[in-house]
Amino acid sequence: MSDFARQIETLRPALLKYARLQLRNPAWAEDAVSDTVLAALEKPQAFAGQSQLKTWLIGVLKHKLIDQIRRNSRELSTTASDEDGEDLDELLFAADGHWRDAPQDWGDPEHCLRQMDFMRVLEACVDLLPGQQGRLFMMREWLELETDEICKELNISPTNLWVMLHRARLRLRDCLQLNWFSQPQQQTKGAEGHS
Amino acid sequence: MKLKLTCKEVTHLLLSAQDRKLPLVERLRIRLHMRICEPCPRFERQVQLMQRASARWRQYSGE
Repeated sequence: MSDFARQIETLRPALLKYARLQLRNPAWAEDAVSDTVLAALEKPQAFAGQSQLKTWLIGVLKHKLIDQIRRNSRELSTTASDEDGEDLDELLFAADGHWRDAPQDWGDPEHCLRQMDFMRVLEACVDLLPGQQGRLFMMREWLELETDEICKELNISPTNLWVMLHRARLRLRDCLQLNWFSQPQQQTKGAEGHS
Repeated sequence: MKLKLTCKEVTHLLLSAQDRKLPLVERLRIRLHMRICEPCPRFERQVQLMQRASARWRQYSGE
């Protein structure tokens, strides 16, 4: 195995993690990562001059993930669009439209954004999103696709997409509140996680 | 058209604004609500923080 191949192999787990977060299907994720690794090994010269191997590989992976989504779009668009029967609005708002529990002050964004631990909690919270919500959230926020592209790829209506993204964001907010902002030790930690 | 929005409606609009540009009149109604509401501005800051967190995360995933 060449040095280049070995370097790529050490990054495979990281690639797989994001592929799984995006596709929510272990077999498809494996395929996307294998395609990425093969593409990289076939064209090592494409990497020359680029600063970071991981950055480059994640970039290739993103394209392979979109390929996977296209390949499986039929199955993805018929995935039950709603795994969660819970009415989040019921939980958040009283009948008159007022907050049941007022949102908390999350403080200075910079304070948490520079902590690696916060990124890990964020990732864990994205992982906890129900399948289709998580997939759509990742397409929007991680693959940075426009909403009309997502609708076209998955053949879903804009309204359906907005409802799902809406739910995903409310869930994410809940999860961050619970697992980060309600943890007193995180608030006093400062920036030692910076890297 | 009623001018006053409930917190629930404002929340919906603030989240929608993450994925599409809201019409001017909706944005004005939100601002109006924000002047008289204490919890909704905090929700808006939470949404903004999550937006920045996503951006930071994209960067972090490639590091």
